[in-house]
Amino acid sequence: MRYAKFTPFLFILPMLVGLLVFRLIPIGFSFGISFTSWNIFSPPRWIGFDNYRTLLQSPAFWEVARNTVVFALVFVPVVMGLGLSLALLVNQKLRGSTFFRGVFFMPYITSIVAVALAWKWILATRFGLLNNALMDWFGVQHPPSWLGDPRYALFAVAFVLAWQSAGFQMLLFLAGLQNIDESLKEAAMIDGASRGQVFRFITLPLLSPITFFVLIISLIASSQTFEVTYALTGGGPQRASTTLAFYIYQNAFVHFQMGFASSLAYTLLLFVGGLTLVNFVLRRRWVHYG
Amino acid sequence: MKRRPFIAMLVLVAMVLGLASAQTLRYFSWETNIPEETAALIAEFEAMHPGVSIDFEALPPDQYWPRMSAMAAANNLPDVFYMSSGFIFEWQANGLLANLQSYVDGIDLADYFSGVLATTRFPSPETGDVHAVPINWVGPVLYYNQDAFDEAGLAYPNDDWTWDDFLAAATALTVDKTGNGRIDQWGYWVYGRYAQVEPWIYQNGGRILNEARTRLEVDDAARETLQFLSDLVNVHEVAPRPQEMEGIRQQDVFPLGLAAMWVDGSWNISNNRSIIGDQFTWNIAMIPSGPSSETRIGYTWPDMLAIASGSEHEEIAWKFVEFMTGPGRPAETFLGGTVPFYRPTAESEAWLEPGLQPADKGVVLQLGGLPTRTSFTPNWSEWRGYGAAEGGGMNGELDLVFNGRKALDQAIETFVEYGNQVLSRSYPEP
Repeated sequence: MRYAKFTPFLFILPMLVGLLVFRLIPIGFSFGISFTSWNIFSPPRWIGFDNYRTLLQSPAFWEVARNTVVFALVFVPVVMGLGLSLALLVNQKLRGSTFFRGVFFMPYITSIVAVALAWKWILATRFGLLNNALMDWFGVQHPPSWLGDPRYALFAVAFVLAWQSAGFQMLLFLAGLQNIDESLKEAAMIDGASRGQVFRFITLPLLSPITFFVLIISLIASSQTFEVTYALTGGGPQRASTTLAFYIYQNAFVHFQMGFASSLAYTLLLFVGGLTLVNFVLRRRWVHYG
Repeated sequence: MKRRPFIAMLVLVAMVLGLASAQTLRYFSWETNIPEETAALIAEFEAMHPGVSIDFEALPPDQYWPRMSAMAAANNLPDVFYMSSGFIFEWQANGLLANLQSYVDGIDLADYFSGVLATTRFPSPETGDVHAVPINWVGPVLYYNQDAFDEAGLAYPNDDWTWDDFLAAATALTVDKTGNGRIDQWGYWVYGRYAQVEPWIYQNGGRILNEARTRLEVDDAARETLQFLSDLVNVHEVAPRPQEMEGIRQQDVFPLGLAAMWVDGSWNISNNRSIIGDQFTWNIAMIPSGPSSETRIGYTWPDMLAIASGSEHEEIAWKFVEFMTGPGRPAETFLGGTVPFYRPTAESEAWLEPGLQPADKGVVLQLGGLPTRTSFTPNWSEWRGYGAAEGGGMNGELDLVFNGRKALDQAIETFVEYGNQVLSRSYPEP
């Protein structure tokens, strides 16, 4: 069948227009905005690098940046560990494993706000399920305030997000596990390898491309955390659980400091981009393709 | 036969003229909870002004402000819209609100709680021009659990109560009912929120802003007040640490019976009624004056209606604003403790609701007769820590104090420095 050269573009046009109007143009636009002072109501005013200078000198920014790093350091290993463990569990050829795959995946397709509300109820200081269990079963007299204490709030948010998204990582790991040729494992077993050795020297290396992919998307997910923070702690107490994405939201849509928020967004982009680059460079050392 | 085109043209001309004379006012509000009452008011206004129709939309507050800001940026504001005390300053400063002074000059303010007009004046709250008209106003009061007072054998709070009286009552009301070592009923409940802290400061004659309201300046009376509130939690232990109430909506602590006294805005009467029902008897009183207080101050602020500057229908928009804020608006449209701007409606039985709790609802009206003090500035919500930024600013710092994690002096130093950074965007150093 013959068709004009532009015909395929016609088909992807709706998608392309959406991408341009709602993503690419605003992304470019916000880069320009990051060099202005703009409160939405009055026209933007060019201020050069002032926003970047302000953020680098602001203790609040460094506190939030530190939170973002700590959040990633907690969230990424926990979600990957959970995801891999669940995948190994449901990969067993046991009765009901299909059912459990569905169960473990369920939180991921549940609205994050609903998940956060349920966890808020579980983690509440006075009437929360967890603290009541601690008081009644373990005799803890004054259980902690998981969401109200600056020492725990960030970890609580990271844990809830990991719990919610582990189902998705599980699915990815599961696909990876099922791609591994059983004969390799059998051969290793025949050569006398233990189950642990098979996992360590056959499964893990063959799974590494998937692990790499999961690592990258988990890092990006951790840097984008917004809804769960909004619903669980509102970034508090004080700024204890505020990460960069939430800080950007606060500055843009609560304080209407669009210029400053855009400069934060580009700083976050640099941060995530830099980390991803490092990962791609380090990949050669531990990722094995086929 | 030849007449037909002529008639058609006449009809067309009449339609065009009709369209030209018909005016459609766009009206936005955040009051989503009284749809029938609002529709009835709008229908009444439309009947009074043939040819005028109102295009009405209501959005809950969290969606209202982002939407309004986007419309302001696109220069597409509704003709008439709700305005809050926390935001009016920025909107005035950016020239988004029509100057209504000449219209307001034409009404007899003796019938209104004119003190709350201060918030609507710009640039100066005393001498500036009015840029919005209050619909209603609110102010913090002291809520108390009458049954708990009876059980403890205490006299109810009255206008002469001092801080010592308050502390003595709070101490007696802090009870471990089950004897398990955990307090079941606290004497008081407070966290860093503006409506829970500022009223105490003002009733002690204190200020947190300088005279020109361009910088944060916490005076001695304000420090004394903050120390008193902090001591209630950390020294006398008659109020829980805010983190202990995490997971419970702050406005539910008192109605759930977890605290026997509480200071917050009068609008909470509505929430109290729905949660408490007839489980216990409660009432309201004036907030106790502090040792440094010379005169009673009313911390009151309005919700308002504003007209967009440059609205093509300013005249009729004003008539609508006048109608919606005046005698035409029935008491039933003012929920709980929000007080009508129009005094006779506020003083009517329909608003005072004898027979319903709280028995002394009229206490709220007393606030309207007092000299007013507020701390609203441009970017108030940012430095104060309010709404989606409640965890930060002054609120966040005070919570660190109430949670026993920071010394008060240090917290004051931090929130003053932060607040002044925020304010310097609107008022740069000379």
